[in-house]
Amino acid sequence: MNKRLSSLFSNLACAIAAVVFCAPFVQMLLNAFKSNDEIMSNPGGAPIRWTWESFADLADPHRSLLRDLANSIVIAGAGTFAAVILCAAAGYAFAKLHFPGRNLCFAALLATMMVPPEVIYPGQFLMFSRLGLIDTLAVQVLPTITPVFGLFLIRQYMLSIPDELLDAARIDGAGPFTLFARIVLPVSAPVLGAFAILHFLAEWNAYLWPSMVATSDRVKPIMVALPQLVDPTIGFLPIYGTIMAGCVVATLPLLAVYLRFRDSFLASATAGSIK
Amino acid sequence: MSKQRRATGLGHALFAAPFLISFIGLFLGPACYALYLSFTRYRGFGVARFVGLENYSVILAYDAFWTMLGNTLFYWVAHAVPMMAIALGLAIIVQRRAVAWTQTFKTLVFLPQILASVATALLFQTFFGTHYGLLDRMLGFDTPWLTDPDLARWTVVAVLIWRSTGYWFIVFLAGLTTISPEIDEAASIDGAGAWRRLWHITLPLMRPTLVFAVVVDAIVTLRLFAEPNVLLGRAGALAPTSVAPLLNLVVEQMRAGLFGAAAATGWLLFALIAALTFILFRLMRERAA
Repeated sequence: MNKRLSSLFSNLACAIAAVVFCAPFVQMLLNAFKSNDEIMSNPGGAPIRWTWESFADLADPHRSLLRDLANSIVIAGAGTFAAVILCAAAGYAFAKLHFPGRNLCFAALLATMMVPPEVIYPGQFLMFSRLGLIDTLAVQVLPTITPVFGLFLIRQYMLSIPDELLDAARIDGAGPFTLFARIVLPVSAPVLGAFAILHFLAEWNAYLWPSMVATSDRVKPIMVALPQLVDPTIGFLPIYGTIMAGCVVATLPLLAVYLRFRDSFLASATAGSIK
Repeated sequence: MSKQRRATGLGHALFAAPFLISFIGLFLGPACYALYLSFTRYRGFGVARFVGLENYSVILAYDAFWTMLGNTLFYWVAHAVPMMAIALGLAIIVQRRAVAWTQTFKTLVFLPQILASVATALLFQTFFGTHYGLLDRMLGFDTPWLTDPDLARWTVVAVLIWRSTGYWFIVFLAGLTTISPEIDEAASIDGAGAWRRLWHITLPLMRPTLVFAVVVDAIVTLRLFAEPNVLLGRAGALAPTSVAPLLNLVVEQMRAGLFGAAAATGWLLFALIAALTFILFRLMRERAA
């Protein structure tokens, strides 16, 4: 009896939690299919009149939201590509190669993780403005391409590659570069993929730095554009139908990746904590 | 063969060089520059005038700094306490295998993590909006959730709890599974009830994970920006000072061209994070001893 009661309570608690954590997603999806006006009178329920007009609104040339989406893809894609290449090469060097000062250098890199990126924004902003890079796509990509956390993650994985495997290839005459390209990279594919997903997600969702350095429509990412969407005639009133449609479009690809690679995401949460 | 493995050379450093050079140029250089800036008065053009610690003393005497710092600490404590309790409670329930649909539950609870903080804040605007929001519609009131500072700070807390619970739930669940079930069973046979086992076995064994969670969550919250500003600011503007987090000061100073002051605020934030991390680790270690 006691056992059944406790099982009932457990299921109930989990069910409530699941509803609380998912309901906003359902609300977002439903609101995306309402007109901007209907959301005002019916913010929660199913649409009285289902419509695609909010999605069509995203393609409105005056709003340039499609370009903002394209900007986000370019920024997050280029940043992720560069970060994965740089971290993989450096991870290989720190895990499997020997050069003077290697361990000291790695320890120093780890120590810099203590400094939050926001602290150095004034320095970065002035540097990029002197280089004439403010309000470009590049200024949004460059600060993200050397994530020490990614280097650490990838190096830890590469440490587990057996030296015998590399030695065997060395006897066959393979140099460090061949070893890297033919053995280390393919073997590390799982960690590189997991890191790429996380890094892409972080860049796609970034807000503070882009909102400071990317102000013109030409280079704005979608996350900076969405909060600024207001009614063109009244001015200050946010147009929630269009905003929610934008949120849905910006979230669905990530949702698909999450559901497909769920275990990598869940493992990423515990990567730093379980020693 | 082993000689070859031990072979060292500057050639090998070439693999690390692209990362290191980029890191120096994009992070370390600007970081040193920001440290230097914090001791100067500089508007982005002309001559940077060395002013010693003046930026720091001016900021520490500035009301808005203390308001924003207070807001940030409020956001941290007000969301961390209930959030950690909920996350740990759910993790304990799931770990005791009382629920059959564990995999589905994990997937659903982690879901808020993939929603951008900007999208989350916009979504909660349609929930908390005065009169037109879902909450006011359900209650039938016109509550100024997002415009009254006293209410608005709690909406930010709600968003933070919603966003972060799933993440720490997963972490706590992983921590709980490393605790050997034999210990719990032995205590159970000795007649210890569920609450006593939780208090005297589970929680002490979970201490390292809990300390880690509190520290990381504190650091993340001290760097809070998107949630309060998108939720409470109008159409991409900054949130009002009465509910603004500390990073707003850095942004405001940079927009006003006060780069020296912005850098000083940034390093004060860093000092705060370092001090908090140190204190929390010390506190928890003393308790453990």
